[in-house]
Amino acid sequence: MNNPLLSIIKTGIITQKDLFPDLTDDAIGLPSLTSTPCRSADCMKCVSACPTRAITVDDDLVTLDRGSCLGCNQCVAACPSGTIVADRSTKTAVRTRKELVISNQVKPVTTSAPTKLPFQRSLHVREVATGDNACDLEVIASTNAIFDIARFGIHFVASPRFADALLLTGPVGRAMQEPLRRCYDAMAEPRLVIAAGVSAISGGLHGGGYAEANGVDSILPVSAYIPGDPPHPWSIIHGLMLAMGRLE
Amino acid sequence: MMNMFKRVEETPSALALTVKNWLAHRGRRFGHLTARANGKGQFVIEALALDRNTGGGLIITAPLTEGELKYPSLTPETPAAHWAERAVGDLFGIQATGHPRWKSLILHSDAWPDDPAPLSSLERLHKEPYPFLEVSGEGVHEIPVGPIHAGIIEPGHFRFSCVGEIISNLDIRLGYQHRGVEKRLAELPWQQMRYLAESAGSDTAAGNALAHATAMETILGIEPPPRAQALRTVALELERLANHVGDLGALSGDIGYSACAALFPPMRGAVLALAQLLTGTRRQRYYIKPGGVARDLDDTRRTALVQGLVDISRRLEELIPLVLENPAVIERMEGTGRLSPTLARDFGIVGPAARASGSHYDAREVFAHGVYPGRAPKVASRTTGDVLARAQIRVDEIHAGLEFLTELLDDLPKGAIFIDCDQEKLPLDAVGVGIVEAWRGELIHWVTTDRTGAISRYSIKDPSFNNWTGLAIAARGNLVADFPLCNKSFNLSYSGNDL
Repeated sequence: MNNPLLSIIKTGIITQKDLFPDLTDDAIGLPSLTSTPCRSADCMKCVSACPTRAITVDDDLVTLDRGSCLGCNQCVAACPSGTIVADRSTKTAVRTRKELVISNQVKPVTTSAPTKLPFQRSLHVREVATGDNACDLEVIASTNAIFDIARFGIHFVASPRFADALLLTGPVGRAMQEPLRRCYDAMAEPRLVIAAGVSAISGGLHGGGYAEANGVDSILPVSAYIPGDPPHPWSIIHGLMLAMGRLE
Repeated sequence: MMNMFKRVEETPSALALTVKNWLAHRGRRFGHLTARANGKGQFVIEALALDRNTGGGLIITAPLTEGELKYPSLTPETPAAHWAERAVGDLFGIQATGHPRWKSLILHSDAWPDDPAPLSSLERLHKEPYPFLEVSGEGVHEIPVGPIHAGIIEPGHFRFSCVGEIISNLDIRLGYQHRGVEKRLAELPWQQMRYLAESAGSDTAAGNALAHATAMETILGIEPPPRAQALRTVALELERLANHVGDLGALSGDIGYSACAALFPPMRGAVLALAQLLTGTRRQRYYIKPGGVARDLDDTRRTALVQGLVDISRRLEELIPLVLENPAVIERMEGTGRLSPTLARDFGIVGPAARASGSHYDAREVFAHGVYPGRAPKVASRTTGDVLARAQIRVDEIHAGLEFLTELLDDLPKGAIFIDCDQEKLPLDAVGVGIVEAWRGELIHWVTTDRTGAISRYSIKDPSFNNWTGLAIAARGNLVADFPLCNKSFNLSYSGNDL
């Protein structure tokens, strides 16, 4: 048989109808915090297990910065008290940097959707990669028939001139800072910037070195942050829809 | 099993000849070249020469005389060294004299105007604007493309010199994504290096993690349990399968064959779902680590994996002929982007791209990693060196990989999945070389410790580091409009190259 049309018909509809499903039990997602009291100072196992210093423990106050978190879940394995637990939600994106910092005591900060956004029905996106190609592959995956990002009115375009939003991946080392600024300058206003992946948010494992690959925050104003290393395609869709103002 | 490398010393002036003479024997190839401080206030140039006959090779160290920050270039005799020498120029400020195309490779002079060379703190070379190779003659025009491209793809600059519609030369300038990976790796406690090592090229997490683990285990002198070696191999082969399947869809996309561009990506997704079943993440992160793997595969999940492979195999049997038995596809791919076996050999091209140009080199048959080289699938090889051959090699490897994966999973050794080595200190003056056949080809992590047991150099050679030159050669004489197809047939990593 050599008929692509037949193959397409036989494939049927494979697009996931259930939006933002949780990851399966076999998968590891980002860690989350419960109100179960932490054993604090005499433990500190999570702090030493974390490869990106995303966790701080001060007495029994535990804070976790998902903007630096790789999602390796070493802290979940290390935590004896059940304060740090696995979280398999794919609705991980937030609008402000401070919402990425969660704690076991204070109620998480959330912001309401800005009103009168011009992109609620459709968003044309220019992706700029700066050094995290797994994240780029997950962005590409969001366009396939399973996730089908186009059904939400989101399209990837070839030029910043056509784009409403700039989706950034990677930690933006020195040599990409100027091209990134020029890409942003070429976009018509109003325009959005969305940071996908921990390296785009904070530099992740790359931050603090001579290449100044510390993420996009100090370079452009960001409308939505999508944590994860790399984020799941559903999380990427979540971040883009959040920036459009289509989700609370 | 470990890869054994003999360390010898040589003078800088004799280095080029020593390497040339050593490589003159059958089955030997140039591996990599880098520099490091030797702890006695000196810098050394080090060449890694690989022997396919023994699964090991030679590390030739040439200490530079103090104050003498140059050495005679290896490139005139050993062209495969040309990018490595330019990288040493950028990162160390050490010059390869007589290099036929001496210019910057990684560091951009406008992004690092006044900084010292990052890995040596010496004065930087190449402060001038990047000199693109100019082609002169009647009707020659240039097309600059990038760094930011039209698709969802990494940044790099392509400078085409064209006569009419035909590419007469392509100068590829990368380095945009330089993040300082190698320096950071040498600064981290060794137990935490694996997170960064595997994201050196994050689309090759299993390959990078395995190369890192193999190098560190050589240094520590530990041997992971057989079950861990088998599970690592499953991870590596799933990564190859996912990317090869994805490439067939991407190649279809670049010739405007929308049906297959839509049909293959979900198949890639099906493989990633199996990867998630095995490792916990679609991108196989945090799984392979020095000493073994992070989690076991119970029997329920093993059965699900085997069943998943059967389903994928059945589906691909139907889909692959849609591409490779379609005359319209063959017409576009045949003869396009040809890379001759001679040039592929001279420039040390690796992986599917090399095997499409007559090479039989597959690191799985030679070097110790996972269950290799004891058991390895049959090596695929083609001779035409065009886009079609590169696509066919992927198909051959998909078939071989599916069969091999099922074999591995049917016969998983029992026992431990991990040897705890986190408390170990690194030995002094040791070296470990991890060589992995990743999905793009030979990937090397080369780690050296100093006389205190600290990492003195962590050098990574991504397969793309060899193969970008192959793309530049293959593009010559082709239509500009066929470049995306040539490019996709190599599908190289920019960030793995830029580090």
